[in-house]
Amino acid sequence: MNLILTSLIFTPLLAALVVLLLPTRLERPAKTVALLGALAQLILAVVLYIQFNGSAFANGQEGYQFVEKLDWISFSLGSLGHFQVQYFLGVDGVSVSMVLLTGIVGVIGVISSWTITRNVKGYFLLYLLLLTSVMGCFLALDFFLFYLFFEFMLLPMYFLIGIWGGPNREYAAIKFFIYTLVGSLFILVVMIGLYASVIDPLATAWQMGLVERGVASAEVVQQVQQMLQQKVINPADLVRTFSIPAMMEPANFIPDSLLHVLSGAELWDLPVRFIAFLLLFAGFAIKVPAVPVHTWLPDAHVEAPTPVSVLLAAVLLKVGGYGLIRIVYPVFPDAGTYFSVLVGGLGVLSIIYGALNALAMNDLKKLIAYSSVSHMGFVLLGLASLTTEGVNGAIYMMFSHGIISAMLFLVVGVIYDRAHNRMIQNFRGLARVMPAYTTFVVIAFFASLGLPGFSGFIAELLVLVGGFSAPDLTGMLPRWLTIVAILGLLLAAAYYLWALQRMFFGKYWIFPELREQAVIKDLTVREYLMLVPLAVLALLFGIFPHLLLDKVGVAATGFSELVLQQGQEQLRLVLSSMIR
Amino acid sequence: MNEQVAYLSQTIEAIVAGAGNLLPELLLATFFLLLVTLDLFRSPLIKSLLPWLALTGLFAALLIQVLGGYTFQQGFFLDLLLSDGIARYTGILFCAAGIFTLLLSLLNRSLEKLRYGHGEYYGLILVLVLGLHLMAKSVNLLMVFVAIEVVSIASYILTLTFKTEERAVEAGLKYILYGALSAGVMLYGMSFFYGLTGSLNYAVEGFGAALLQADTLLVTVAAVLVFAGFFFKIAAAPFHFWVADVYQGAPLPVVALFSTGPKIAGIVVILRFVGTFADPLFFADVQFFLGIAAIATLAIGNFTALWQKTPRRLLAFSSVSHAGFLLVGLLAFGADYTQSILFYLTVLLCMNFGIFLFLQISEEAFGVAKLDGFAGLGRAYPFIGVMAVLYLLSLTGLPPLAGFMGKLLIFSNVWEAYSLSGNNLLLVLLATGILLTAVALFYYIKIPYNLFFKRNFREENLVISLSNKLLLVLFALPLLVFFFKPDLLLNWIEQLLAQIN
Repeated sequence: MNLILTSLIFTPLLAALVVLLLPTRLERPAKTVALLGALAQLILAVVLYIQFNGSAFANGQEGYQFVEKLDWISFSLGSLGHFQVQYFLGVDGVSVSMVLLTGIVGVIGVISSWTITRNVKGYFLLYLLLLTSVMGCFLALDFFLFYLFFEFMLLPMYFLIGIWGGPNREYAAIKFFIYTLVGSLFILVVMIGLYASVIDPLATAWQMGLVERGVASAEVVQQVQQMLQQKVINPADLVRTFSIPAMMEPANFIPDSLLHVLSGAELWDLPVRFIAFLLLFAGFAIKVPAVPVHTWLPDAHVEAPTPVSVLLAAVLLKVGGYGLIRIVYPVFPDAGTYFSVLVGGLGVLSIIYGALNALAMNDLKKLIAYSSVSHMGFVLLGLASLTTEGVNGAIYMMFSHGIISAMLFLVVGVIYDRAHNRMIQNFRGLARVMPAYTTFVVIAFFASLGLPGFSGFIAELLVLVGGFSAPDLTGMLPRWLTIVAILGLLLAAAYYLWALQRMFFGKYWIFPELREQAVIKDLTVREYLMLVPLAVLALLFGIFPHLLLDKVGVAATGFSELVLQQGQEQLRLVLSSMIR
Repeated sequence: MNEQVAYLSQTIEAIVAGAGNLLPELLLATFFLLLVTLDLFRSPLIKSLLPWLALTGLFAALLIQVLGGYTFQQGFFLDLLLSDGIARYTGILFCAAGIFTLLLSLLNRSLEKLRYGHGEYYGLILVLVLGLHLMAKSVNLLMVFVAIEVVSIASYILTLTFKTEERAVEAGLKYILYGALSAGVMLYGMSFFYGLTGSLNYAVEGFGAALLQADTLLVTVAAVLVFAGFFFKIAAAPFHFWVADVYQGAPLPVVALFSTGPKIAGIVVILRFVGTFADPLFFADVQFFLGIAAIATLAIGNFTALWQKTPRRLLAFSSVSHAGFLLVGLLAFGADYTQSILFYLTVLLCMNFGIFLFLQISEEAFGVAKLDGFAGLGRAYPFIGVMAVLYLLSLTGLPPLAGFMGKLLIFSNVWEAYSLSGNNLLLVLLATGILLTAVALFYYIKIPYNLFFKRNFREENLVISLSNKLLLVLFALPLLVFFFKPDLLLNWIEQLLAQIN
């Protein structure tokens, strides 16, 4: 078995163990070990990205590459069958792009953390744990394993914000923790429901003695699925599973279970499947974050130290979007098509509301935090359109926003390092004293507002094209929704250009009270080291979109076809079973 | 006359034939008598040996129950006790709880300073463990009552270990008053059942059949009265009022024991008793009442914990909320939940002893009395801080710790039961249980928050003894192991359950 995915997850953990064993006063070695750990992860990610075959068929349910599957937990539940959790990893086009992003941002984050002075050992320990769990999220194909990594992200993040953060860090840390925990509890309910409803056909066949353990064949799977639907399997033989691909196949659902398409079960006049979709969606929407559950994000960003902000915006938010693509839509395609206007509407609301908020902010970091909310709205819009372009665009947006938001937060970090302040009104004409810095700010701002030539442009273009063609191709979104979303582009131009004008152009001036402690000087080598690669990447993926689309395209197309086709089919069944 | 003789000889025969079933209990009783006798000697050497003697007794009882094979007779013992897999497994838990209590006591410095009553203290712990064994084995209402009283009386005296302290006296008094009240109510309810069924043994078939014939309202009233007594022992609402004061006043090792031992035993008693009412057609009222009690326990435990200023009171209400979770688990009729409940109880044992040990260390070494007393402790002593975080996360029910696994199993049972019966009560239970986990995080996180986020104002360099550290690790290991390999424990439990039944 190829262990590249396992090594991707556990390389940072290994580095974390080394850091743990180092004596506390050895700060520099701790940093070096962390850097080596992150670098190793990046190299593995690049190798994986290159080796990944982007043209092989994939649609979320099948077509995973580099699969690793091991039994982890399994015990008998008596008359209720078996409980089974697998250590199940695999990548498709969607995850491989996120893995690459995590690798890149992980290294940038370590470089940016070089200036941490307080409790260095603890900091890097938590940082590396965070990298492990994020990577785990992107690679897990077993819901239980995914949930484990998903929950485990909270803890390092809580401490990273709460110990190394700004003045109001404790409030922000707790708010972050509670918000995301509530979200993950929603996810937990649905996870339990799915596990109670879904079986692993192959393992069930082994349990029944149909074929020998370890033998796999498509016919046996089909036979078990048929037997399951005819209710001729002894319940004690059913092997319940958390496997995400198994959950995407309606034939794997136990006929009497609440989440079966034909169960007819309802709650508050909605099919239970729809409720389950809404709960899962809410859980991941908090992470994305979508308006109106976004309020933790500005607080967390403002208080978090720069590298943690970078990681939060660039990678952690993507877990939300990734969860929607990997789990929510393919498992509940019926509800996904049914609620597409809701999802798309929340996306557009996030775009506009986030942008309007950004326009009103005086704190540069808050401005960027709200711009994140606005940009992640495009991910929801693209997904809801369910067109090939839209889904491609959503994934492209996640990747591109990862690169660009990392750059944006680094840029804010630079001015905060110099002046210990980042209020827009306290600075004017910075371009005169910090020309190189201003160049990167301009690059980051323009990349983010979607200037052609940068990756953000491709992403927004794809999403909008998808949104516009959705009424004709998939019948998902009303056209006016996409038209409103375009306003978001205008607003983005407005808040970025306005901030640029206020802070960087004109005559040089900074607020008098800041002058004493502020040391305004241009970029250092370390800062170049972080900003140059990110700027290059933003340009590279803006000019050669096929670098990413070649890997993502097939999976995105497969995803949208699977969801559309199964969605309409299952929606019909669900609604008909309701009437009965 | 002849009849009486014949009956007497029959009874004696039954006792002799079944005595083997009671081997662990007999062992504990013997060691208790030994301890009390030896306590009469004034030699300091003998006094210092007393805790080790108690430990030996508990270890012996633990060992024979782990090894098994001592039962000579299947079925009931005199219509009173049942030695089945549940009793054997929980017996192991009780002995473990007793051993943990003794270990904590040995590390407790205020107990050392106690001038008299050492022998009594260790002896009573043995009696308490003995009572717990009997509770878990009882299938007879009267026997349940006697067993609960054995545990209660031992608990009252243990609460009063520090007789000279005002807090302890207050706690003891409240405990006794509540205890006496609920015992009376319970006994009253039991008399109803005897009247309705003509039997005190509720594990026989006739008992349930007779209840089906009886007036539903009467059965409901009787059940409510009896459950009052059980709820007192597991600290479920509305019989939880004693908890906070007792936790505040009793020595910490004893508090740790209270939060686990009687809870486990009480849950087993309820587990055996509630099965009688599993038929929703006849006993919907009983179920409804139990469901309301479970929700109330969860809500009161979690929300009241939010306002607590001292760690002891916070953990008291946390223990109330765990009682609520267990009640939720017990209501998942239709799902085979014994295994999951026993798993949860095992995890609870480790978590609670761990967190109380942490509390004992911080109280004794650092004089922490309030939550803000923890400020900066974790920064100064990362090892202790990290261990505390581990226990608290497990109590909250977050991965990767066994507390999560326990909750997951209970919730999936409830889901299963809901999809079988479509009873909306179960859905409400599920939703309450899951949402209150977020509330639980809110108060548990206060401790790590103080440990790590607050500034350090302490400069003294205290050394935490190695035995304390080892014990902290000992309690934490199962939490990690049973998250990553819960099947190890679950399969063992399954084996035990299948073996003797």
